[in-house]
Amino acid sequence: MSIRMNRREVLSHGATLLGSAALTTLPLAQAASQSKVRVRFAGYVESQEQLTQTLAVLKLYSQKNPNVEIVPEFTNFGAFTDKIATETAGGNAPDMFSVNVDLLAEYARRGVTTPLDAYVPDPINLSDYLQSAVNAAKFDGKQYAIPNDAIGPAIITNATSFEKAGIKIPDQMWTWEDLAETSAALSKALGPRFWGVEDAGGNYIPCDIFLRGRGKSMFTPDHKLGFALEDMEAWYAYWKMMRDTKATPPGDVQALAGNDDPSTAGIVAGRAAMNITLTDSFVGFQALSQDNFVLHMMPNGFRDGEMKQRHYCYAGNATTVSAKSPNQKQVIDIIRFMHFDPEGAKTYYTNSGMVPCSKAGRDALATSGSDADRKIIAYLDLLQKEPAPPRYPGVPGMTGMLTRANEGVAFGKLTPKEAAQQFINEVSVRLKK
Amino acid sequence: MSSSVSEMAPVEPVVSPETRPRRRKAVGINARQNGAAFLFLSPWLIGLVCLTLGPILASFYLSLTQYDMFTPPQWLGLDNYVKMFTEDGRYYQSLRVTFTYVALSVPLKLAFALGVAMLLNRGLKGLGFYRSVYYLPSLLGGSVAVAIMWRQVFAYDGIINQILLKFGIDGPSWITSTDYALYTLVALAVWQFGSPMVIFLAGLKQIPQDIYDAAEVDGAGPFRKFFSVTLPLLTPIIFFNFVMQIIGAFQAFTPAYIISGGKGGPADATLFYTLYLYEQAFTNFQMGYASAMAWVLVAIIGLATTLSFQSARYWVHYGDER
Repeated sequence: MSIRMNRREVLSHGATLLGSAALTTLPLAQAASQSKVRVRFAGYVESQEQLTQTLAVLKLYSQKNPNVEIVPEFTNFGAFTDKIATETAGGNAPDMFSVNVDLLAEYARRGVTTPLDAYVPDPINLSDYLQSAVNAAKFDGKQYAIPNDAIGPAIITNATSFEKAGIKIPDQMWTWEDLAETSAALSKALGPRFWGVEDAGGNYIPCDIFLRGRGKSMFTPDHKLGFALEDMEAWYAYWKMMRDTKATPPGDVQALAGNDDPSTAGIVAGRAAMNITLTDSFVGFQALSQDNFVLHMMPNGFRDGEMKQRHYCYAGNATTVSAKSPNQKQVIDIIRFMHFDPEGAKTYYTNSGMVPCSKAGRDALATSGSDADRKIIAYLDLLQKEPAPPRYPGVPGMTGMLTRANEGVAFGKLTPKEAAQQFINEVSVRLKK
Repeated sequence: MSSSVSEMAPVEPVVSPETRPRRRKAVGINARQNGAAFLFLSPWLIGLVCLTLGPILASFYLSLTQYDMFTPPQWLGLDNYVKMFTEDGRYYQSLRVTFTYVALSVPLKLAFALGVAMLLNRGLKGLGFYRSVYYLPSLLGGSVAVAIMWRQVFAYDGIINQILLKFGIDGPSWITSTDYALYTLVALAVWQFGSPMVIFLAGLKQIPQDIYDAAEVDGAGPFRKFFSVTLPLLTPIIFFNFVMQIIGAFQAFTPAYIISGGKGGPADATLFYTLYLYEQAFTNFQMGYASAMAWVLVAIIGLATTLSFQSARYWVHYGDER
């Protein structure tokens, strides 16, 4: 069945259709608020709690400054790295965005962000800040970002599980061998569907701490690899041993966790007693469990080696400003509000998992914050008693490369030596670019 | 019948040639008859030309360059393609995974679709209800929410393992095991058999009942009826569904991305071609290489479709070939 139309009718009907389609896409009359400033703030968060507090402080700022509209775009770390890459490549970088040590090196190098030295110390006074956190936000000697929080590597430990198993929580200065024995004992006591520690073979920071225990490091200050094949082989062999002795879950169970979401972690799901991560995840983990969680150091060395405090404190996330943003002054004012305004800082940091870099901020949070906040502050103070050499910038995508190699060993597809070689090959390629 | 038509003398036009104006073109687009068709096609055509064609051509150019999205593209010639096939082990893994997925999910999905369509064609009460219920998964199945739910169902502490525990079986974590993860994704695809099923149902209803009656009179049992009457008459629909499902299966992305957390894990067991392409483009900043991968996928899908069409000559029976 066809409709009979002559050419004139086709053209006139077509023009009407196209015209009405075009009309509906015309923007409605612009609001008269030409003076309204729109700031896009993208970033990553480690937990629902951190997201809630961040959104709350941004809303508070907009209430006090009605001509500023802040558009938040927050997600988890893994998704964020892809998203910021696409946005910046498309020329659509947000005005302000979160970076960590590796991301900052990547984006500062490409000229996407702008140095903020002009704004230090007025209005951003960093004199009271943890020096290692401030350095973590520097690139090429310039202050490219303002550190938002101080974090340190830690093992989130389920104290309740230890009690149930009748095992004493070991000392803070312990060895990798101690970790293996304690985990195996926990698995034996509370198994068979329970393991002592979650598999951290694919985690960047524990690997770095492990390498430092051997006198090496993941990266050197001049952006090269700081270890040899046998060091990485020892790392993968360690986790293979842990799996074989049932101290850590098998590959398929462990793979359920690890997408930056605390709710999928073994310690929250009730199948592990320890989770090796960073302090800014602590609040998120504790919020999801009724058990009592505490912070514990990772092993600081080996039985036949040197025991030294190796956990570095640095910035969990820092805020940087896009070089092309027309709202740089506004962005700096928002950062000032989040860090230095008493009400702003209280909203931003309380129960977020983040701990201020400044001593004054930490003291304030210790009095007004939650129990979880106090535990983090106490732990960081412990780490500060004997500060460790800092973390050196690397390349993004470390977790992916480390995890694939670790899973290769876990599923019997690679030997530890092959896995180490695969990782070294991949990271060397990324380093060159 | 046909012989009598050819024997009829051609009919002389009543109106003489001078009074009937010739406006018909010998070849070309007959706007008068096809005007409405072009009108309805115009949104898609405009979209293709104005929005999609440019990026398609740009992607082909980029596939011959090294492009990290921040600095201008550097010309490489065919290096990306060479590297793909000679230096990249993970590329072959992604091909293996994708081909396995297509080879398993498409036939299974079509078999389920046809089977359920035949069951529903028996004139059940509430046919409309069952049809909607079976169609629903294919609407929702590609969504993020369903993928997350699927991951939960097949996880270590998920429902499947809890049921198995009651029988004393300590099941692995299906969805994160290198042996089983891909099969859970195949199961997710097969679960969405609803849309080909609806098309099969329509096709089944088109088969005239008197053909079945004639077959029964000749003494055909149910198996014979299926293989000699139903299946041959359904082949055009099977062919249509087959081609559509193959094209879709090669491009599968969302469920694999969500279920493996974007990594194609564990240990690349679910590294779909599109997932690997995405990782190369946006995590490794290798947009040129990813564009080359995209074009190879176009070639693969094109080849699969062409082979299907050429094979159709041998097994698809259209009704008008007497």
